Amino acid sequence: MTEMLTMFKADGSAPDFNGALDEKALIHCYRTMLMVRAFDDICMKLQRSGRIGFSIPNKGVEATQVGAASALRATDFLFPSYRDFGMALHHGAKPVDMMHNMFGNASDSARGRQMSVHFSFTDPVRFFSISSPIGTHLPHAVGAAYAAQALGKDDVSLASFGDGGTSSAGFHSALNLAGVWKAPVIFLCQNNGWAISLPASGQTASDGYAIKAKAYGMPGVTVDGNDLLAVNQAVSDAAKRARGGEGPTLIEAYTYRMGGHSTSDDPTKYVPAEELEEWAKKDPVLRMQRFLDKSGLWDETLEEKLLTECADEVAQAAKVAEATPGPTLETIFSDVYETLPLHLRRQGEQAFELAERKGGADAGGGAFPL
Amino acid sequence: MIEFKLPDIGEGTAEGEIVKWLVSAGEAVKEHQAVVEVMTDKATVEVPAPADGTITKLLAGEGDIVPVGDVIFHLDSAGGGAPVAESEPSAPSTHEPAPAVAPALVATATTSVATTTTSKVLAVPSARRVARELGVDLETVAGSGRNGVIRRADVEASVSGTGGVSTVPRPAAVSEQRIPFRGVRRKVAEAMTRSAQTAVHFTIVEEVDVTELVRVRQKAKALGAQQDIKVTFMPFIMKAVASGLMKFPMLNGHLDEAAGEIVLPGTVNLGIATDTPNGLIVPVIPGVESKGLLQLAAELGDLADRTRKGQARPDELRGSTFSITNAGNIGGTLATPIINFPDIAILGVHRIVRRPGVVDTPDGEVIEVRQYMNFSCSVDHRLADGADAARFVAHLRETLEEPGLLTLLLALKIDSMESFS
Repeated sequence: MTEMLTMFKADGSAPDFNGALDEKALIHCYRTMLMVRAFDDICMKLQRSGRIGFSIPNKGVEATQVGAASALRATDFLFPSYRDFGMALHHGAKPVDMMHNMFGNASDSARGRQMSVHFSFTDPVRFFSISSPIGTHLPHAVGAAYAAQALGKDDVSLASFGDGGTSSAGFHSALNLAGVWKAPVIFLCQNNGWAISLPASGQTASDGYAIKAKAYGMPGVTVDGNDLLAVNQAVSDAAKRARGGEGPTLIEAYTYRMGGHSTSDDPTKYVPAEELEEWAKKDPVLRMQRFLDKSGLWDETLEEKLLTECADEVAQAAKVAEATPGPTLETIFSDVYETLPLHLRRQGEQAFELAERKGGADAGGGAFPL
Repeated sequence: MIEFKLPDIGEGTAEGEIVKWLVSAGEAVKEHQAVVEVMTDKATVEVPAPADGTITKLLAGEGDIVPVGDVIFHLDSAGGGAPVAESEPSAPSTHEPAPAVAPALVATATTSVATTTTSKVLAVPSARRVARELGVDLETVAGSGRNGVIRRADVEASVSGTGGVSTVPRPAAVSEQRIPFRGVRRKVAEAMTRSAQTAVHFTIVEEVDVTELVRVRQKAKALGAQQDIKVTFMPFIMKAVASGLMKFPMLNGHLDEAAGEIVLPGTVNLGIATDTPNGLIVPVIPGVESKGLLQLAAELGDLADRTRKGQARPDELRGSTFSITNAGNIGGTLATPIINFPDIAILGVHRIVRRPGVVDTPDGEVIEVRQYMNFSCSVDHRLADGADAARFVAHLRETLEEPGLLTLLLALKIDSMESFS
């Protein structure tokens, strides 16, 4: 593996840290990580009691998400995987807006037409819709970067994906063209150990993932993904290169998914307990906490305050979202065509007429929406 | 009042087994508090309460298989209000709602009656399951986890007496035990019933003089130890079985009843019946015919170990073409093993005994102390006949009595094995 960039020492100090993030920014990063955990926690319970259909936990990879976001502007383009919403939270997305998506209600930005956890935002952050298919968003990120380049803007695109994503066709297409065009894009590969139940050892025969950058004519960097400062540094460097016209960078963040792939997964069936224990010692939230403590920015009172704030905010968000009615029938036909074509207008009229006669549709009783 | 329906916990699960209620009827719960443990095809999970309130009625018993969407409990979220309608004819009597008493009374009742407060004990789900299986009262177990949470090891230690746990010694057989019939035990029962009711079993027993094998294995053991591989008799037996099955393929495979075809896969995937803390599980070692003895020993050690720890992958637990059970090394002379359905046959392996035996020497027949091992082979008579089974066990005897032949078999390609006799 390429040499790994790490900032945190075992005692919580970070002597190489250049102060790129000020005190306020550091606390904001930490709070965002706690918010990710709080959001995950309540979603797991909502799913287990059938109130939402599906969720994807992030425990273990928060530093990669938040560290990357903290190195970018809210106006940069984020092309996330389904385990990345910390990036949106960091730039001001509201938990309640995410919760609207979890319930698929009328206030969801996708009006219930997306799967749960598939958030999308245009404001306050350019966070493209999370996509379930693996690696399909990488070429999109290159396209957006190419557009920024053509328009003479200094926006950067970041595509985030897992180790499994490197086996997709999109990975090759995207990295290849990004290299050719010197597009201002950052490829953030979150090597979290597992592609659902496939261990990283079954994913590639190459020595890590960063090395793949060489074949596409771009630098490849390996970074300690559980070290927020290191991720911030790596992404900052890549963003600087991109804005300076030097083209793309592939970053491999070495991290670990400490929970299941999703609420439909039971990781105890394939994850060795010792492996999980080993990584728990490197919990990214604890390491950040230790750093803040060492820097005199953290105490129990702050911890208590942040935890309470986060728990209250997500609980309130869940209440609001659950009480918000579902999307109206019209939304099946809206938001695609400016003027609805005749055949769809006819289908719509039939649907409305049927709904009129039969009453509202069954909400599904907690069934997974497939 | 909320009628709580069993949700689809995974993607497209159809039903779940109620493993354990973590609250009783009449108990007050908080939103997100775990109410019931449910096992689906995918995972065992704790299902939480959807709101603050009082559980007024449990509508399914532990061990019941409930379709997704069925109401499993009633929750009075108003906080102590109206009792639920009385007409619930299908509800088992043990799950009758507690009288709708004031919340304060409920609280008193649940804290003072020790025998009904298992839900107050903090324990991980696997600890609860093991406790049920071993008949351990969790109240008597000290938890070593964070906040005193009882872990599985605590329960096991409390039984074996190795932990620093102060438990009252359990008097032997004082009262009748009622063990819930579910989980792995029930899965084993279902599989065995299907096998016994479908396959027409007959069993043939062969006695094998393993004196030479014992000697060879002793050497192999030392050789394996250099590479940290534990060499038991099993790899030898597996190798002999695999060569026998390549020679007599009618015993290796399964019946595809839907297609009306006997499926003979041409490769030997051996199911190895393994005794685990959770019960009998049969992990599978594929392609045995093309693997070396040490490799088999290593794979077997690893797979058996992970199976006992519950870490075998689902794809390692299916696809057997023949199975071996060696519980016989604990005791017993012969057995009539039940076929690991839908395999065609199974081999039971028994312990080695020393007996006087008649041996041919250049000076004539002499009596020597020899070592013998019995093999019991059960076959589905629908698919193979007694002669097939007799030839197969004779092949086992020939190869295992002269284990040198095994090395020959190792070097042979599959097609040339046909000509080996």
